[in-house]
Amino acid sequence: MKNKTKYSKMDANLAIYLFKNKSKRNSVKVISLVLILGLCFTIIYPILSLVPIVFSSTEDLGNPNVIWIPQEFSTVSFKAAIRLVMPEGAMTMVKSILYAVGIMILQVFFSAMVGYSLARVNFWGRRIVFGMVILVFLLPRQSLLLAQYISFVHFDVLGIMNLFTKAGEINLINNPIVLVLLAVFGFGVNQSLFIFLFSQFFKNIPKELEEASLIDGCGFYRTYFRIMLPNAVPIISTVAILSFVWNYGDTYYTNYFNPNGEYMSTLLSSTFITANKDYILNALTTWYDVPVATDMAFDAVKQAGVLIFLIPLLIVYLVGQRKLVENMENSGLVG
Amino acid sequence: MEKSKTAKSGTEKGRKKLSFRTMWKIHGIIFVSPFLIGFVAFFLVPLVNTIYYSLNQVGVGDQGGMTFQWNGIQNYIDLFQTEVTTTSTTMARLFTEENSTMLLSLPLIVVFSLFMALLANQKFKGRAVVRLLFFLPIILGIDVVMDMLQVTTGSANLDTGSSLLSGSYVTVFLVRTLNVPRRILYPIMNYVENIFTLISQAGVQTLVYLTALQSISPSLYEVAKMEGATAYETFWKVTIPSIMNITFFVVIYTIVDLFLRSSIAEEAYAFAFTQGKIGVGSALSVVYILNVVLVLALAALLLRKVVKKNEK
Repeated sequence: MKNKTKYSKMDANLAIYLFKNKSKRNSVKVISLVLILGLCFTIIYPILSLVPIVFSSTEDLGNPNVIWIPQEFSTVSFKAAIRLVMPEGAMTMVKSILYAVGIMILQVFFSAMVGYSLARVNFWGRRIVFGMVILVFLLPRQSLLLAQYISFVHFDVLGIMNLFTKAGEINLINNPIVLVLLAVFGFGVNQSLFIFLFSQFFKNIPKELEEASLIDGCGFYRTYFRIMLPNAVPIISTVAILSFVWNYGDTYYTNYFNPNGEYMSTLLSSTFITANKDYILNALTTWYDVPVATDMAFDAVKQAGVLIFLIPLLIVYLVGQRKLVENMENSGLVG
Repeated sequence: MEKSKTAKSGTEKGRKKLSFRTMWKIHGIIFVSPFLIGFVAFFLVPLVNTIYYSLNQVGVGDQGGMTFQWNGIQNYIDLFQTEVTTTSTTMARLFTEENSTMLLSLPLIVVFSLFMALLANQKFKGRAVVRLLFFLPIILGIDVVMDMLQVTTGSANLDTGSSLLSGSYVTVFLVRTLNVPRRILYPIMNYVENIFTLISQAGVQTLVYLTALQSISPSLYEVAKMEGATAYETFWKVTIPSIMNITFFVVIYTIVDLFLRSSIAEEAYAFAFTQGKIGVGSALSVVYILNVVLVLALAALLLRKVVKKNEK
């Protein structure tokens, strides 16, 4: 690459260097853009591909000529899904949301308390308690399912139940109070992780805040509720979003401890099992005068159900997502 | 605080300070007490019970209570020798499968989430939209949603992106023209096809990595640039060491998350309440706990070394 024209050798080298640099930067940009677009596509493709299926009439399903735009627009799948998984109509969804919000509030309230105390109060055995939190986080909840289940079937606190019932125990399975108890005592969905996040956050709050409030005459509780909690809004919103999403979508606790409860998530997973396929297809043909209902109609109804189920989650996500990254940065987990 | 006017001698002051501190500690313990109660009620007692059940033959008594008959390690022997899962595989096989899939997906998920975070951390137009999509797996990765998105009938225009590749030109080209051995190609293709599953398990990890990347001080990058480091060098010498601590967290979180998704719970539940063998179900739980502890300990040990090496 020798350039012997009017440019001096140095200028030529410089030009080559700049060109190389620029092309390098541009190619990196293009490659990463392609990767980003590809990943975005992979993430939304499963959702996108549902749209033509759930909106097309059941006869069109499996028609090789129909790929993206349904020949006949129809909402039969949605109607069927609503009838199947929402026995009380919109109330079922409202109830599920209220359940998730209730558990979320309990989880946030009690995890914040435990997290604060672990981070700021140097009580006896603090390290041990912190170790317990980590231990609970590490051991998968299923491993203790059996014993927990049995303890709820024969629920009895130190013989207190003798006063209320003859058998000296009550069966708490199918009683939503179990889920409340779990959330209050720090064993809800991923709650040890929330405690950990809270304690990491409170560790980074400057000590002066606490001292100032003490000098101004606040006690322990006032310091906590008036000074520390309002300062913890970022981590509270992060935990609240995660807690809502995980509780709304939870099938583990609801399924085992309250199997008859009408939560959207459990209803979805129990209705659309393969064993139920014929029943659902029959229902389709009798309810909506659909001439043919194939296996694909089953999938269409199922996925219409998922889309309905996802609506509240997507709303929460769209509202909270921007804050999520910023807040995580302040959470103290990093660095 | 009320009697502060009268008590002013040094010893009094010291005692008061101490008692104030003690009060503070007591308040702290009150705050932690819900968790402590929960720990005993929902963790410690069940744990001890699980071990106890696993060493007994548990039956149902006449009055509805439970009866126990000491059984030694018979339940464990039964578990691995005679019992089968609901899908009729042996326990040993179930555990091998669970562990091997976990060990395979673990590095993939960790590296992939870092990769996504690196992409999302760049500056480009429409970054907000991209981030919106990148964290969507936090929602889409929920078990119910993943189950429901799966298709019972394998029709070409119905699936979630799987089996797009197996018959594609790329595969044919790789096998026929480049002679890539199928034994190597197919597992890789399998992961590529199931990329959505991979992404769906990486939501939280990507979020954590992205925040870690954003918290690296820009001056470090500036210095690297001034010193003439290439982007490649900067990545290995600045970015990676800075996120090593958080990688520790991400790896542990991923392992826990993967174990949470395993089917052991259903098996234990089936043993106990469908077949009425609470003892065997508990034995399975105990083996499972040991398995988890072993994997976590190994991972922690390995990572400690790597983290320390990078911190120097």
